[in-house]
Amino acid sequence: MENRKIRIGFYALTSCYGCQLQFAMMDEILQLIDKAKIECWYMLNRNSSEEREVDIAFIEGSVSTKEEVELVKKIREKAKIVVAVGSCAVHGGVQSWGKEKELEQLWKTVYGDGKVKFEPKMAEPVEKFIKVDYKLYGCPPEKRDFLYALGTFLVGSWPEDIDYPVCVECRLRGNSCILIEKGEPCLGPVTVAGCDARCPAYSVACIGCRGAVGYDVAWFDSLAREFKKKGFTKEEILDRMRIFNAHNPKLEEMVNKIFEEGE
Amino acid sequence: MRYVKLPQENVYEFLERLKNFGKLYAPVKISEKFYDFREIDDVRKIEFHYNRTIMPPKKFFFLPRETMFKFSISKAEYEEVVENVEPFVIFGLHACDIFGLKIMDTIYLDEFPDKYYKIRREKGIIIGISCMPDEYCFCNLRETDFADDGFDLFLHELPDGWLVRVGTPTGHRIVDKNIKLFEEVTTQDICNFRDFEKKRHQSFRYHEDWGNLRYLLELEMEHPMWDEQSELCLGCGNCNLTCPTCRCYDVQDIPNLDGDTGVRIRRWDSCQLRSHGLVAGGHNFRPTKKSRFMNRYLCKNAYNEKLGISYCVGCGRCTYFCPAGISFVRNLRTILGFEEKSCPPEVSEEIPKRGFAYASNIRGEGI
Ligand code: SF4
Ligand code: SF4
Ligand code: SF4
Ligand code: SF4
Ligand code: SF4
Repeated sequence: MENRKIRIGFYALTSCYGCQLQFAMMDEILQLIDKAKIECWYMLNRNSSEEREVDIAFIEGSVSTKEEVELVKKIREKAKIVVAVGSCAVHGGVQSWGKEKELEQLWKTVYGDGKVKFEPKMAEPVEKFIKVDYKLYGCPPEKRDFLYALGTFLVGSWPEDIDYPVCVECRLRGNSCILIEKGEPCLGPVTVAGCDARCPAYSVACIGCRGAVGYDVAWFDSLAREFKKKGFTKEEILDRMRIFNAHNPKLEEMVNKIFEEGE
Repeated sequence: MRYVKLPQENVYEFLERLKNFGKLYAPVKISEKFYDFREIDDVRKIEFHYNRTIMPPKKFFFLPRETMFKFSISKAEYEEVVENVEPFVIFGLHACDIFGLKIMDTIYLDEFPDKYYKIRREKGIIIGISCMPDEYCFCNLRETDFADDGFDLFLHELPDGWLVRVGTPTGHRIVDKNIKLFEEVTTQDICNFRDFEKKRHQSFRYHEDWGNLRYLLELEMEHPMWDEQSELCLGCGNCNLTCPTCRCYDVQDIPNLDGDTGVRIRRWDSCQLRSHGLVAGGHNFRPTKKSRFMNRYLCKNAYNEKLGISYCVGCGRCTYFCPAGISFVRNLRTILGFEEKSCPPEVSEEIPKRGFAYASNIRGEGI
């Protein structure tokens, strides 16, 4: 790697562009100039191309059209490392919330009779289509995580994944626990840390915007049991947990289990 | 030991003067039900009657998050960074928390001194304060309900002020520099002190012998409690992160974008988290939630050989701050056979009269 610039690409699928905006606005990005070459990042460089080979590909957005399926496959072929960026790319994003409804019905609600050039499909995480090497969680993701991942790649090492929940940072930060104190349906216990428990710090219950912790340690069942005790219905619990976790294969089964237990 | 009295009318003046010895921290109410040690500007905001803070006082010595050193890969160099080294005073620690710090000392000072902990421990003045137990407290069962040392001053509540025990030369200095604020302890004060201690002792929820606990835990690894209770657990780590004696930390290197320099940081860890038992090669010593759940129970009920007490000091935080409502005490009592009466109880219902609150000839000594 000595003296060779790292080639970086930043690609957008279906998203609000908030992730790239977040990173494009960082002052630190200037430090990259003599370390990295930006091959593709339309927000920063008009002279971008999705056809070039890169060392690290950052992908934001969920895969929601047939064209995007082809695009992510192409990115995978041309990139050494693929990083999924933000809740849309990592977990499918809020646009997956309506997963239960028919595509046609969703389409009609949003576009009515309007005509568009692309072929739509249900929103899905990038990982459904290609191998993802690393994930930057959040809606939008944290600058700190981006800098950490990039910095670690630049020294030729591999960044650690975050495998613990928001509660850990909530305690480190010295917040009160609003789940215990006020019975708020806080999703901190099942949500990936990294935001420094931003919402509970303002007495707002976490809605899980960073998505559920991986490695099968998001205990939706135990949390649902706790919410049930506090008087929430199954529908309320599922609705809330699904906002950012619609594609989690364990979620429904785990919550249903609690409501089958009886008293 | 030296004993003096701080009359009620001098309390705020005394607290104000503590600021001359360093930045003052004390318990304050931070939300509807919770308390925490915070920096004090207005001493009238200090809470004298609280039961437990959400963050244990170890946070002043072993920081929740800290930078350990800066490094440069190309130069193969590192430079240590020690944050927060100004003198400070923590007012209002309860006996259990003082024992908590003594336990932390056995880990971070005695064997391989931790530079970061040590430097702050040397700068920190500890002022204890008496308390009335609530239903979560069980320091009496852990024999950590009365601190003999580990403080510079310890204040015991009297109807008209505070009986102050002076524990260290620093404590003497604080008293001597403010000698006009103090009075001599009277016979009436001693009676009041003993009354308070007696009432306090009787207020504990449980009076029983936990001497066998460590062995019973080891023997009862197959007890159904483990499955039932770990099933409720969220694996959130709150129990460890609020515990005054949990000392595990996680280390991470954060490189800068120059591909060369960076910092090493550490943060409090919890054995309820997946990666606590994860080692190179992807092996996990505690791969299940149940095994992680059990680990905390075994760790906290092991004996600290140096102090001859368990690692749990009975502060009640891990129960009070568990979002899943899991009761550590109840689970331990289940193992002890005190919750379910399937085996006959081993101890009588009578409260054992232990401690100097019941001793007959204390009056007058050492004053
Ligand atoms: S407020 Fe939410 S994130 Fe914080 S400790 Fe409680 S449950 Fe966890
Ligand atoms: S607390 Fe929850 S909702 Fe708020 S930023 Fe963090 S993960 Fe997102
Ligand atoms: S192993 Fe667990 S219980 Fe023991 S000190 Fe570490 S975090 Fe605390
Ligand atoms: S194990 Fe629980 S009760 Fe014991 S010292 Fe730790 S937090 Fe307090
Ligand atoms: S605080 Fe309670 S729910 Fe959280 S890890 Fe500890 S025992 Fe489990």
